[in-house]
Amino acid sequence: MSTDCQKTTAKTIPSIRRVTINDAEHMPHDYSTTPGGTLFSTTPGGTRIIYERKFLLDCRSSPLARTPPANLPVIPGVTSPASKDTSKNTQNGELLNNNTAAPDSSTAGDDAQFEMDI
Amino acid sequence: MNNKFDALKDDDSGDHDQDQGSPKDGEKEKNEDEEKEQNTSKKKMVVPGAGEHPLQYNYTFWYSRRTPGRPASTQSYEQNIKQIGSFASVEQFWRFYSHMIRPGDLTGHSDFHLFKEGIKPMWEDDANKMGGKWIIRLRKGLASRCWENLILAMLGEQFMVGEEICGAVVSVRFQEDIISIWNKTASDQATTARIRDTLRRVLNLPPNTIMEYKTHTDSIKAWEDFHGLVNASGGR
Repeated sequence: MSTDCQKTTAKTIPSIRRVTINDAEHMPHDYSTTPGGTLFSTTPGGTRIIYERKFLLDCRSSPLARTPPANLPVIPGVTSPASKDTSKNTQNGELLNNNTAAPDSSTAGDDAQFEMDI
Repeated sequence: MNNKFDALKDDDSGDHDQDQGSPKDGEKEKNEDEEKEQNTSKKKMVVPGAGEHPLQYNYTFWYSRRTPGRPASTQSYEQNIKQIGSFASVEQFWRFYSHMIRPGDLTGHSDFHLFKEGIKPMWEDDANKMGGKWIIRLRKGLASRCWENLILAMLGEQFMVGEEICGAVVSVRFQEDIISIWNKTASDQATTARIRDTLRRVLNLPPNTIMEYKTHTDSIKAWEDFHGLVNASGGR
């Protein structure tokens, strides 16, 4: 993970570090790493907001990430506006993406079965 | 591609709509949380909220389904695709995603689409008409995990292809599921190669999973030919 140089910007968000990459060779080969750090990074030719998967998953537990959007359309079997406590484990036939380690096994959903209306 | 019908196996969701459709613009996402009808055509800006992590682009979730067996038509596709909502930050993304069913639990012939704001998940959109997609067919049971990894990579700008990414789709079908990622320029081989490499890295696919690249024009032609034959227009 070598970098040519490091720049910090004047932005107030403390967790940003901008790293300038001048050579594509310096880009890491692993998905799990970004040059100079794990949060934001700079791609050759410009500044881009890059997030790693782990960081995105960690943001899920923030209170800002939990409330259902007010404009969520209600589509039975597709969306669920009810706000539930996000938990790591599937409970009670929870079919929603409320847990980070979602097993793919089908659960006996108490949630609405999707009816096909013709 | 010699067998036109192969192209239809996954493209029968009808991305061929000729109607412009009702423009469903992105909706305002403010902390005030207004209750608004989805069909309002007022232009609203989606912006990250205070303390939220902005994304490089805004995105919109769409959902579509089709009654299997019924031939796709322009009207039925238009009726069956629906905007779920738009977001501009990581936290806003989770608010939608956490209140949506996992693709592996969808029933019927259904699709989730996640496209950059302003790009409709249809071949005819300006961003898509010269474009194509990588498609990956998955056996049942993998779609939820792969879809999540795919969209996290897209939102996190892991593909490193400039502006080329248009969006991603997960398609739930009878005996398989399909994930795909759409880009603007089908002929840009450097871009499509880099997208393919990123897919391999981020998706953790089973070994021997086949990835296939298809241009949208090939898919459109295949759809037109197929329906021409069905309607006995003399074939082509």
